[in-house]
Amino acid sequence: MIPVLGLAIGIIAGLILQPSVPTSLQPYLPIAIVAALDAVIGALRALGERRFDDRVFVVSFVSNVIIAAFMVYLGDQLGVGSQLSTGVVVVLGIRIFANAAAIRRRIFHA
Amino acid sequence: MSDDPDRRTGLLEQIADTALDDDYYVVRPGHYSQAREFNTALTGVVLGLFALLVTMAVVQTRSDRPATERERASLIANVDDRKTLLDNKEKTAASLRAAVTKLRASTNRTDPAYELLRLKTGDRAARGPGITLIATPTNNDDRHNTNQLTDNDLQILVNGLWYAGAEAISLNGRRIGTMSAIRSAGGGITVNYDPIGPPYVIVALGNEDTLESRFNDNPSGRYWLGRVQALRVRNVVTSSDQLTVPAVTAQRLTPIHAKAIEDPR
Repeated sequence: MIPVLGLAIGIIAGLILQPSVPTSLQPYLPIAIVAALDAVIGALRALGERRFDDRVFVVSFVSNVIIAAFMVYLGDQLGVGSQLSTGVVVVLGIRIFANAAAIRRRIFHA
Repeated sequence: MSDDPDRRTGLLEQIADTALDDDYYVVRPGHYSQAREFNTALTGVVLGLFALLVTMAVVQTRSDRPATERERASLIANVDDRKTLLDNKEKTAASLRAAVTKLRASTNRTDPAYELLRLKTGDRAARGPGITLIATPTNNDDRHNTNQLTDNDLQILVNGLWYAGAEAISLNGRRIGTMSAIRSAGGGITVNYDPIGPPYVIVALGNEDTLESRFNDNPSGRYWLGRVQALRVRNVVTSSDQLTVPAVTAQRLTPIHAKAIEDPR
């Protein structure tokens, strides 16, 4: 119940407050979201496998977001920002699809 | 899933096989070894944060979109406008070009005064009776300028031919027109800025019977004959009833600064 409530509150807060992202942070937001999505899908899979641990979820979520943003930042400083973000997106994308496939297998047995 | 990742050869395979964070598989001792609870405040906060992130990004992208869309639309409209303008201009140009061609054709055919004017000014090649004067210096090895025909000699020759009744004159195939000059440049002689050299072939259209005698009788002709003898230049004059002179080159026939005064008549 609480997680669903959290989700709803987050969406509503975003819609009502409409906080604008600072221009300097704008390039990192999409990558941070992909990283966060990876953590969330991983958590869902762990939940299905009855291995979920909220502390691991929090740590993986925060560290994923920070590391992804940091890699893009580093890439920007080195002049290969777009290539590095592509790499991050590819790796996270593979993880998201693998976890989603595991969830699908568990639910549909297929 | 719990296979040894080191055995996997491909990097992407390894990523796919260890998609779930290893921490989920570690069973921790103590209080948290039991805590497999999803329904906690911590999870709620993190999920709320996630939702906020996504919403922020979505809102931002949406609010940015109208501006870019508007810009794009106005650019497209601009391009279309210019294209229409260009089409119109091209149509106008085509119709004007057609009008010019038509008008030029009509004047060419029907206006004898214009044709006469073109003949007078040297804008058309001309044909008719006349004389050909060929002046060939025999002492070609003489390098002294004082012993050669000069631009001044040729000017006097042409002047004398006009005086004798010539109607069109060409010098080595260069028609003498309203803006032609015979002058020396860099040791040679130029006509209409074209360099020419000996032998000098002068074609003068006019009365073939009287042109030569009238030329020989006037002061310019006498000067020319004196020069020819002094410099030992071979001077051959032949008359014919079928001679042609070319038209003046266009750049020596086009006034740029001079404008016509309104005819008072």
